[in-house]
Amino acid sequence: MARKRPLGTEEGRAYWTMVLPAFVIYMVVMAFPILLSIVLSVSNYNGGKMFGGEQWTVIGFQPYARLGIDPAFWMALRNNLFIVFISVFGQIPLGFILAYLISRRLVKFPDFWQTVIYIPNIISVVVVGILWQTIFSPYGPLSEIFNKLYQANFHSHLAAIFQSFGQFDIKNVPDSLAQKIVNLAGPTAASNFSNPVADLKDLMQSYDANQSGMLVNDLTNLLAPKWSMDFLNHRETAMLPVLFVILWMYTGLYLIMFLANLEKIDVQIIEAARIDGASEGQVMRHIILPSLSGVIVNLAILAISGSLNSFALIYAMTGGGPARITEVLSIYMYDKAFMNGAFDYPLANAVAMVMVVISFILIGITKAFEKKFGGKE
Amino acid sequence: MNKKIIAILMVALVAFASGVFAQEKVTLNVLNYADATQAGYSDEVALWAKFQADNPDITIVKEELNNEPFHQKVATYVAAGQMPDVFYSWPGGRSTAVQKKHLAKDLSKLLPKDLLALWPAAALNPKAQDSGYLSELPRAITYTSVMYTNVKLLKDNGLAIPKTYAELKRMVPKLKAKGIIPVAMANKDTWVMQSCLFSTISGRIAGDAFIDQVLAGKAKFTDKPFVAALTFVDTLYKDGVISRDSIQTPYGDVPGIFASGKAAFLIDGDWRQAAFLTDKTSGTALISPAAQKSDFALVEFPAIPGEKNPGLISAVLGTGMSISAAIPAGSAKAKAAVKLLTWWYGKEWTTMGLETGAYIPARKDIKSDKVEPFTTMMSAYYASVPKTGYVLDGVLDAAVCTPLNDGLQQIGLGTKTPAAVASDMQAAFDTWKAAQK
Repeated sequence: MARKRPLGTEEGRAYWTMVLPAFVIYMVVMAFPILLSIVLSVSNYNGGKMFGGEQWTVIGFQPYARLGIDPAFWMALRNNLFIVFISVFGQIPLGFILAYLISRRLVKFPDFWQTVIYIPNIISVVVVGILWQTIFSPYGPLSEIFNKLYQANFHSHLAAIFQSFGQFDIKNVPDSLAQKIVNLAGPTAASNFSNPVADLKDLMQSYDANQSGMLVNDLTNLLAPKWSMDFLNHRETAMLPVLFVILWMYTGLYLIMFLANLEKIDVQIIEAARIDGASEGQVMRHIILPSLSGVIVNLAILAISGSLNSFALIYAMTGGGPARITEVLSIYMYDKAFMNGAFDYPLANAVAMVMVVISFILIGITKAFEKKFGGKE
Repeated sequence: MNKKIIAILMVALVAFASGVFAQEKVTLNVLNYADATQAGYSDEVALWAKFQADNPDITIVKEELNNEPFHQKVATYVAAGQMPDVFYSWPGGRSTAVQKKHLAKDLSKLLPKDLLALWPAAALNPKAQDSGYLSELPRAITYTSVMYTNVKLLKDNGLAIPKTYAELKRMVPKLKAKGIIPVAMANKDTWVMQSCLFSTISGRIAGDAFIDQVLAGKAKFTDKPFVAALTFVDTLYKDGVISRDSIQTPYGDVPGIFASGKAAFLIDGDWRQAAFLTDKTSGTALISPAAQKSDFALVEFPAIPGEKNPGLISAVLGTGMSISAAIPAGSAKAKAAVKLLTWWYGKEWTTMGLETGAYIPARKDIKSDKVEPFTTMMSAYYASVPKTGYVLDGVLDAAVCTPLNDGLQQIGLGTKTPAAVASDMQAAFDTWKAAQK
């Protein structure tokens, strides 16, 4: 139980002299914005001077009700939970495994791997976002490489078909040739022509007899399957590249943190266990993991709060699109607060409150797990 | 005698004092919209410096941003309820909050009458601004839909500028066979399809009168004409006229794609012409003036099946500068702001705007023979448009326009039907309308 320190006593005065500045700073910088955010989330404030400007009042939980019926909010929440999942169950285990391999010198050149894995953390998230956006772009290097491969393959098959027909009158293309090409092209032919065989014949017959090489090249351009990043356009899969980049970028951070804590474990204990016949797996399960349980919980809290706040990387990479399918809560909140010229501050603050509540719930679950299953450091 | 001397001294003192006050410097905080990468930016910088040199009694503290960062900064100013003294703004759309909160002064009462007389009546229409008054003087009428056409590319492939949609559709396999993108658009930003193409489609198929009826509650977005307009967007994607890849194409990428001959057409707003012009500092251009003249054309989107307003193109009052409503009327700061705006809308600045291709001025007396072909072609394009129509984000509230913008992308992705998008819009409109009561 906290001791009472009456202001009249010397101890009390000393206590308040030291505590008060921090308390005031905390109230102004931390507590006041949080309280204000709570108030705004149940108000009809829509910008302008807060005091002395337009009248605004507390209207209750309407903004929360509006959130509940907005599918975009649920989509953003779902995406955020994916990020939390990949952070807690992807970055932390992966970071730990890599740190273990490096600290136990189970890989060659440990310093090199440590540096390589950590490097993405020192690059600006915006740069990383743009870099991966370019890689995943329909005009980016990945599409370019795959399309070249597809085209080369299609070209050789197409050339073989032409060869099998030998010499034919280009102004009177045989139906069977057109049909074979349509069969080779598959869905691409259907997407380009309403009547594939007839339309393809028309197109081929517009070429001259001495343009057969050009014709094969052009048909390859037109009909070769395209490797497109179509999965970026589907709500079920659009988050995959984002999750991959998040995993790629932040695993190094957890690696460093685990490495620092692994260094603190007495090597003699591990050596003694090994001499007693413990396997590498037993060392990890019975010595290292219990020693790091507190660290794992702290990193999980860090991962959860970081995941719920994630903004810059996704904003730079996808902007929440297309059609909001990669939007997360922070982008949704930002959109409501600042975009489109009409600003919805109550809704944006309601989102912030939801994020805080979710953070507390997830951190509570993590702490409960640690209490039940964690060891003592 | 003494009294006379004292009186003279008093007058001299007052004159001296007023002289001193006249010399007092006024600081104007200006939020300008400028893209430093745009050709013509150096001319703009030079003119700002000239104004500063010519007006030592005014100190300009200028902040320059463009695109989203600009709008975000405005949002924070609006949230604080304190706009900069002079700021760049739109008559509605992204400046809706600024306008509706009346954060800008009425320029019709401040700017010289002889200056305002140089603008066409349509640009001075107070009802065309969300504020209901002249909160900014539009420096141009913006045509948001232009089909930039690579005529040489078409010609090289035995094609010509299409007059109908059917003709455009027929070109697609031929262009794709040559590895050419038929129509480039940057639809990653949701506003682009709505502003640069769909508003025109909606205007041609449904018409402005239909939108007016919806706003008046006498029609619904789910009615046949509007759903038909949305369905046409679906057709564009299904026919391959516009690639679904365009939904992943950032806005900054398309000028390069078009200028390098990778696309036969580019659909964008009239402002995009400036991206192709010569940058005076480097002397380079994405499309050289000679090529602009010989190889390119600016045309309207071809005739759409079922259109009832042939040739209609979406257009909206352009941007301008506003003066913060918070500046006390008649103060030295207010006078300085008016002086700045009078100069900004003046002949020298406006001519620079025309010559750099930044915009085609609405001001009637601006002519120049130092313009590049695209700028001349743009004026001719304006003249060729028989009828202009609404840009939908200029007439619909953001709450209604957001499901439209998102929905146009969803149609492109094939994740939502045109009817479902119309239904979402109507629901958003009903909610918004109910909240206005």
